[in-house]
Amino acid sequence: MIEVVDVRKRFARPVLSGVSLRVPKGCIYALIGPGAAGKSVLFKILAGLIAPDRGEVLIDGDEITTMTPLELAEARRKIGMLFQNYALFEMSVADNIAFPLRRLFDLSEEEISERVEERLARVALSGYGHRFPQGLSGGQKKRVGVARATIARPPLVLYDEPTAGLDPVTSQKIYDLIQDEQQKNKSTCVVISSDVTGVLTIADRVGMLHRGKLIFDGATREAQESDIPEVRQFVHGLTEGPL
Amino acid sequence: MATATTAEEHADDLDIVAPSALRAAILDLRDLWGMFLRTLYYVFRGRREPGAIAEQMHAIGNRSLPFMCVTMAFIGAIICFQSALQSQRLIPDLTMLGATYTQLLVRDIAASVGAMPFATRVGAGIAAEIGSMVVTEQVDALRMCAADPVDYLVVPRFIASVVMGTVVLLISGFVAYLSGMLVANVVFDVNVHTFINFSMVGLADLAVGLFKCVTYGAAIAIVSAHRGLTTFGGSEGVGWATTQAVVGSCFAIIVLNLVISSVAYIVLF
Repeated sequence: MIEVVDVRKRFARPVLSGVSLRVPKGCIYALIGPGAAGKSVLFKILAGLIAPDRGEVLIDGDEITTMTPLELAEARRKIGMLFQNYALFEMSVADNIAFPLRRLFDLSEEEISERVEERLARVALSGYGHRFPQGLSGGQKKRVGVARATIARPPLVLYDEPTAGLDPVTSQKIYDLIQDEQQKNKSTCVVISSDVTGVLTIADRVGMLHRGKLIFDGATREAQESDIPEVRQFVHGLTEGPL
Repeated sequence: MATATTAEEHADDLDIVAPSALRAAILDLRDLWGMFLRTLYYVFRGRREPGAIAEQMHAIGNRSLPFMCVTMAFIGAIICFQSALQSQRLIPDLTMLGATYTQLLVRDIAASVGAMPFATRVGAGIAAEIGSMVVTEQVDALRMCAADPVDYLVVPRFIASVVMGTVVLLISGFVAYLSGMLVANVVFDVNVHTFINFSMVGLADLAVGLFKCVTYGAAIAIVSAHRGLTTFGGSEGVGWATTQAVVGSCFAIIVLNLVISSVAYIVLF
């Protein structure tokens, strides 16, 4: 589904130094790592929002780094994205959720309303459609973000820090929601999270970035049992170690 | 000796900095030109969000009008006062004060001087609004929904700035005319009927003044939106983008004024 080959990106300093990974179709892939490891940059490269300096990014076999803006817009029909800072627009919750449908597809307003109501019910926000994001809690904003990211039923969904700033109970609800969505749509999900304990409860595979390099890529259990000192320290939250 | 060394070091620094600053300025101009062309493309071929242009027209036009009228009233009064004072020293006859002031106002002052406060009010607003959307990832979210930020964010502001910029500059220019007339009458005892004299204003003056209003409206929107879209970092970045938008817009107005005035002088006058 996703194949990243030798991706390099440099801003003032190297951020990604030859990252290669493969995310199989229909899996939840957790991308973990300490701060400034390059997770968000890799994420934006996957979404085609940032171009890498070198390397290839293939989504369903299509190389997105060489696409024209029009081709990229077409490719983004297949990608849903939840942003770390919610990125909700200054419009009602219903309009926020309906936004991708109105922009990406030629659907009637009736059909859009039905889909929005279904999404709102799915994220336990029925009756919130007329409200504005400013009046919602952090958890509710995240759920609106999940509804917006998944309303077009994309085969690939990217979640950037879906539980940042949320309490443990709300965090687990968000993870459960992500897992339910993935199972219902049989989509592929990539989740960036600093909340390792939480994200590992839903992840099938784990990749760990450290200083711009992918130092681990494997099944969740392998990550939990890894002997790599950085992975062991980060996954188990140890204070002693190389990080 | 130490001073000489420092001067030499500074000269070396300049050698390094000057070409890179020039290069950055050229790249910046190229970006601005690219954004202007894309904006023009989307003006005719883009997808209109219902109410987006009207909303921007209200924000850019209606909300700027009181500030612009008050500012231009003071500017008009000052210019008329100083003009009358200077000309009185040469010729004690102020019968042509209204005619020359009107020509100056129509040809240049209403548009070029008025565009400066308009740029501070509107340019800062556009850059801050778009810059905040950039740092909160809303612009990325737009891109993910196949909404080009130029089409979705810049075009409504561009159209509103061109249309309402022209309207606001014309109205505030008229206010400057009235305040000038008041000063001429009260301070210099120039009769109102004598002041109202359009004999020196030709169609070419009107055309040049109007063209400047439209051009400045477009330039303010493009420069400010560009600064907003290139915002990076957090709130500090938004502040920097806002400052850059105002500085860039004012600079664009001055340069465009020189270009338009020169071309008009050669072709029309």
